[in-house]
Amino acid sequence: MEKISQSVVKKDHEPKMSGRSVYVGDYPGDGVLTGKLLRSTLARARVLDVELPVLPEGYFYVDKSDVPGDNNVNIVLDDTPVFARDTVEYIGEPIGMVAGPDVAVVNRILSEIKVSYEELEPVLDLRKADTVFFNYEYEKGDLKKALAEADKVYEEEFTTGYQDQTYLEPQGMMAEPEKNGHMYVHGSMQCAYYVHGAVMRVLGCRPDEVHIFQDVTGGGFGGKEDFPSILGCQVAVAAKKANAPVRCVFGRREDLEFTPKRHPSLCTYKVAVKDGKVTAMDIDVKFNGGAYTTLSAVVLQRGIICANGVYRIENLHVHGQALKTNTTPSGAYRGFGAPQTFFAVEMMMDHIARDLGVDSLKFKEAHLARQGDATSTSGKYHFPVPLPEMIEEVDRAADFRRKHLEYQKPQTGRYHKGIGMSLWFHGAGFTGSGERDFIKAVCKLHKFPDGTVEILASNGEIGQGLRTTFPKIVAHELNLPLDKVYYNHPDTARVPDSGPTVASRSLMIVGELLRRAAIKLRSQWKDGEDQVVEEHFKEPDFMIPFYLDKFQGDAYPTYAWGVGAIEVEIDTCTGTSKILGAYGSFDVGTPIDYNIVIGQMEGGFLQGIGYASIEQMNYDGRGRIRNNSFSDYLIPTTKDVPNLKCMLHVEKYPDGPYGAKGAGELPLVGAPGAYVEAVEQALGHGAKLNHAPFTAEDTLNEIRKEGK
Amino acid sequence: MVNGYTAATLEEALNIRAEHEVVPYAGGTDLMVENRPGVTYLFLNKISELKRISVDEKYVRIGSGATFTQALEDNRVPQLMKDAVALIAAPAIRNAGTFGGNLGNGSAKADSVLIEFVADAKLRLVSLRGERIVDVDRFYLGRKKLDLRDDELIAEILLPKTGLEQYDYQKVGGRNALAISRVSFAGVFSTQDGKITNIATAFGAVADTVLRFKDLEDTLLGKTPEEAKALKAQYLKSYADRMVLTRGRVSAEYRKTVCMNLLSEFLTRFGI
Repeated sequence: MEKISQSVVKKDHEPKMSGRSVYVGDYPGDGVLTGKLLRSTLARARVLDVELPVLPEGYFYVDKSDVPGDNNVNIVLDDTPVFARDTVEYIGEPIGMVAGPDVAVVNRILSEIKVSYEELEPVLDLRKADTVFFNYEYEKGDLKKALAEADKVYEEEFTTGYQDQTYLEPQGMMAEPEKNGHMYVHGSMQCAYYVHGAVMRVLGCRPDEVHIFQDVTGGGFGGKEDFPSILGCQVAVAAKKANAPVRCVFGRREDLEFTPKRHPSLCTYKVAVKDGKVTAMDIDVKFNGGAYTTLSAVVLQRGIICANGVYRIENLHVHGQALKTNTTPSGAYRGFGAPQTFFAVEMMMDHIARDLGVDSLKFKEAHLARQGDATSTSGKYHFPVPLPEMIEEVDRAADFRRKHLEYQKPQTGRYHKGIGMSLWFHGAGFTGSGERDFIKAVCKLHKFPDGTVEILASNGEIGQGLRTTFPKIVAHELNLPLDKVYYNHPDTARVPDSGPTVASRSLMIVGELLRRAAIKLRSQWKDGEDQVVEEHFKEPDFMIPFYLDKFQGDAYPTYAWGVGAIEVEIDTCTGTSKILGAYGSFDVGTPIDYNIVIGQMEGGFLQGIGYASIEQMNYDGRGRIRNNSFSDYLIPTTKDVPNLKCMLHVEKYPDGPYGAKGAGELPLVGAPGAYVEAVEQALGHGAKLNHAPFTAEDTLNEIRKEGK
Repeated sequence: MVNGYTAATLEEALNIRAEHEVVPYAGGTDLMVENRPGVTYLFLNKISELKRISVDEKYVRIGSGATFTQALEDNRVPQLMKDAVALIAAPAIRNAGTFGGNLGNGSAKADSVLIEFVADAKLRLVSLRGERIVDVDRFYLGRKKLDLRDDELIAEILLPKTGLEQYDYQKVGGRNALAISRVSFAGVFSTQDGKITNIATAFGAVADTVLRFKDLEDTLLGKTPEEAKALKAQYLKSYADRMVLTRGRVSAEYRKTVCMNLLSEFLTRFGI
């Protein structure tokens, strides 16, 4: 193992484990008002009137009329209101906020507010949704010809459901007016500068009149990419009106019901096969965006770019739409649109292979993309594609090929076994030219006279280890002991904008900037002096420019790769499945800290298994999410996958620090394909499964169908 | 702020129970989470006489304050009960959760209560007025409905010492740990001279209370498993007709199918 990969104790380990870390909910409450949101009880309605009770002294009600600037939260577009406009568009949409010193009184006021609505017909069914938020399309080769010349054309539909991030710490933000009239907003978040831009606009003030600080954050997984901007604006408006600090921390039910989740999807695949090989794919992707656009544009972009999986498909047409429904806006969750389409393409390949009478892994192997091949968007796989070696690694660990053959035979008795394998990638970093055109990351190193070095960047520690791995990189280049280099949580008043903490970009992009900054500092180092060096993002020379209007070019500079196998045993009496083993090989380039990366791989893979199996969440006929508690929305525990084996395969990326590439999202992305293929094999009888999560109830239904 | 009384002895607890409106608080694993405002608790966790597990000629007597962990470590507690409590939540909850609390909570999902139903367990209820012994199915009437008077406390669970050796227990939860039962099933079976002397089956988590149909069980008594097998189809149909399931997050249809599959498996296992 390389020196940089050797594990160290995480810099935030001690304060977190000892309970000394201060989260936004931990600040003393003296003089702090508690804010609680008044939420819509209808999925779609005109708000006619909000009748308030008499507010005791020191209590405030704020709504859209109190917004000093623009009542729109800047995310990708600006359609999300801070507080509802004339209509409400989903159950739980914030109409206003009540703030005051005593939470019991705040709750009483909320219960006494009477909202009169004129109810409107909501759109809840994705299939019936007709408001198209985003509509993308791209094509290469000659689809028509390939379809016409095919021996057989397969068509199938795949659906996936919600998935909630279930970070340990629910959403929470706090705003504090400062003596100089500036506004200080802090809390649990991934992207301090996103919040900064949003709050600035809503308060109608200059950049220096607002600053944002990331408090210790108890997990994000994408859930704290856009949402803190919304909540941050709400508390800022309330604090401005009350001229006092206002804090709003969600309870778990509120968080599960009203904060963004993974987009439910509906994908239709039409695949042409000639001489036993796939010659074309015509893919239609629909994502349920919820009531406002929030992050749907970028989630959909990533989703459709990988709709053909890891396969070389010469003739390809992909059409993607994000549609509006009157439900909680969907958002970012580890994988960002890719888990949906990877699930669909992996199941599609399995089903075609079965129909052709060939082994699904062999069929997939015959279509693998290789170095130098064109990507879906006519970019290029510039670097080696290590999937064949990784398949062998997983085969060795799981005894995959033997079991896959054995479980193919008819099974009798109460318990049946199955094993499935899925292959996938994660495009590392922002989609397209986002890094170059929008983010333009900047970071700094500040060397103090005593020789300690502070890293100045805006990426947030959310459990992925940045407060440790960033200093490891800088200390390595400067030949300093690790305790001489530190990285605090970002405050936008102190740090440059090195971009958001998203897209598995921080370590690969910002880590490399820091490495270069450290080299610069080393060359200028003067003992005893105070020195600052700065580094700016530069796009690697090899990139084929990406055009978003045509979806053409390199969508990503490089890819992290994943191969996962999952073995299950289903109980035909109860439909429950026991996971006998989950085996993953992951290529995220050089691990900057072995333990951190393995922790990420295990956690992400397990989240993917949860997404595939037990994490079921849906809304009812009124648009309300009913299973909003941890006893009804279950995520897997270690007891559910005791035999979880994650391995690292290292294919270095020359433009990442020491060969590192994006890691965070990869392990989740392909797990559903492996799990559902395994259940499908265990069920036998030609079962063709096409949705995730595939629950115990689904399994039993499938068995009942067989019985008939 | 938690309001309440802490009793050191059962007598002291009964006095408080008689004089005040209090919610008995044993392990607190449910009440702590509920955290109802304005409630006065009677903390029972310091009363050693409620924590005992003992044995007499007929019964294993489990004190209402005995924890699940205590039962798991006690070789006098029948294995059937251990199988059920071993799957409750997680170690920390099993260290605090008690048999009395599981009953007092009045939920059809209570895993130890299901076993008490199939075992024909009795409960010893005490008050300043004296004590009474009731059958668990006469006590456990419906959701949050218990035959427990305002001045009474549950003192002991009396579990028959014999007759629980041949059994089946199945818990279907949403995951392998920290899961509330979606369906739970327990059955016990005994024969003498080749004839069925006891067959008891009960279902948890599917209705307002634990479901057990003794009249249906009775139709198999005195028969050989062979003879019972001839009646199996009709027997299962009678169950299917009687099982009216409450709606839940997981569909009633699914849970009923699971119940019937598990009942059928149980019968098969004992040659029926």
